[in-house]
Amino acid sequence: MNAAPARGPVDAVPAYYPGCSLDGLGKAYEVTCQQVLDRLDLSLDRIVDYNCCGATEVKNLSQDVSIALPARNLALARSMDRHQVVAACNGCVYSLARANDAVHEEATRTRINATLQAGGSPAYDGSASVQHVLEFIYQRAGLERVRAAVRRPLTGLTVAPYYGCLYTRPKRYTGVGTTPGTDDPEHPHFLDELLRACGAKVVEEYSAKTICCGGGHALSDLDVSVAFGASILNEAKRAGADLVATICPLGQINIENHLDRIRAEFGEEIVRPVAYFTQLMSLAFGSSLKQARLGDNFSRPDLFLRARGFV
Amino acid sequence: MPIVEKSLVSVDRVEHLEVEGIDVSGDWNTFLRSRVVTDLDVKIADWVKGQPQGETISRCWQCGTCTAGCCLHTDYGLEEFNPRYFIYLAQIGYEEELRRYASTIWRCVSCNKCVERCPKGVKVEEVIHTIGTYLELSGGAAESPADRFDRAYTENLLGRGILDEAALFRTYERLEGRRTPARELLRLGLTLLKSGRLHTGPFAHRTRGWNRMRKVLEAKLTEDRARRRASVPAPPVPSGRKP
Repeated sequence: MNAAPARGPVDAVPAYYPGCSLDGLGKAYEVTCQQVLDRLDLSLDRIVDYNCCGATEVKNLSQDVSIALPARNLALARSMDRHQVVAACNGCVYSLARANDAVHEEATRTRINATLQAGGSPAYDGSASVQHVLEFIYQRAGLERVRAAVRRPLTGLTVAPYYGCLYTRPKRYTGVGTTPGTDDPEHPHFLDELLRACGAKVVEEYSAKTICCGGGHALSDLDVSVAFGASILNEAKRAGADLVATICPLGQINIENHLDRIRAEFGEEIVRPVAYFTQLMSLAFGSSLKQARLGDNFSRPDLFLRARGFV
Repeated sequence: MPIVEKSLVSVDRVEHLEVEGIDVSGDWNTFLRSRVVTDLDVKIADWVKGQPQGETISRCWQCGTCTAGCCLHTDYGLEEFNPRYFIYLAQIGYEEELRRYASTIWRCVSCNKCVERCPKGVKVEEVIHTIGTYLELSGGAAESPADRFDRAYTENLLGRGILDEAALFRTYERLEGRRTPARELLRLGLTLLKSGRLHTGPFAHRTRGWNRMRKVLEAKLTEDRARRRASVPAPPVPSGRKP
């Protein structure tokens, strides 16, 4: 069992912020997160009537709107009497944590609260901490409990752990690397360890671990986004990985969305199936391919895994 | 702030380089004496610093750590994407040169490596976006695809509180004059429908009681844009090169 996180007061059952993706394209991530948490005897309490966090887009138009949006969700968590908010999307973790950083300044807090209250939301005092679900699982369950929950080890699978950008970055907002018990911001390893505990072989020194997927520019700057998607897959290929595990719906969707162009420009041989880490963990905990919703992914890891003897 | 007169530092002059009576050569046995640089145009730096997203610009000491790790510069190989240089040009107020990069700055993908690594705590990514906003608002720079996306995204989410991903895709394609073939859209739509993920239009998720918040935030957005636009200094009259 790992030490308790030192982000602030700890809730037995933290609040869960789904974000738009987990209720939309990333449904498989949410469903399998729940399966994994259940099997590890962990619970989260969903924030009802949450709103979009504003991702990395809104801040370019208005600072106050970009703080008020996530702050409303944090205020809702506080009105549920929770001090901890867990999110599964890197973009959500980033903007929630960024709002926390901003409201520490009194003038900003006063201004944001005036906006929130005018809009019918409770005020927010900055007292909720934000955590990625990967860190939550790693800290709360620990590797021993993960190992004990495995029913069907992922033996024979080589996985490239893709963390992307905003799970750790920037530490000033996320606190990753500066808060005891958190991951290494430049060389994160929590995902590596969880997948290894599930019996998978995890690529050591996967060089695309924390590169960008193109982020919010997936539609507005296709060339860059396709090139980054191709790098993530090509580095996985070079490292001998069978598939790529993701921890962010944006990373997952950006890579998968560009597969046709990646195939055409960089060749079929670099293409690998891409799956949320919770889909792989759920599979290891005994779910079927269907239960782990591996057929939802455009890169169809279900077909690949079936061929490898998983059912 | 570094010494600006780089063009004066040539090998044959370096031993005797004096500006306003002060040795700025950095000769082997002298320290570079600090001096007040008076020919800077600080209006861009001041404007950027006055925006909440740009206030850390004055901390920059031009080490280049941001550019060294920048995924556009290094991984993608877009050499002219150089956050250190953008900040430098804004700091010294070399607006003409900065404008040459108006069509490059918007390509920042917000990976935040620069913010993570900056030893001075400059929020480089936010500062860069603020410089881009300056160029757009002060006239001359065309609206970029990323600006259009940011706006489409924000309008979409403010509508119901929760993003309608499919509608955002359609809106943005229309804005850019792109068109995914109908057959492909249908195939995608069916896949999403079958897996219960097509929440769009009337079936989109919404935040209960959002209307009141929507009005407040939309007003805030308009107000912020007007304030920023009004505070932007007038564009420069084109002139000869600065030092």
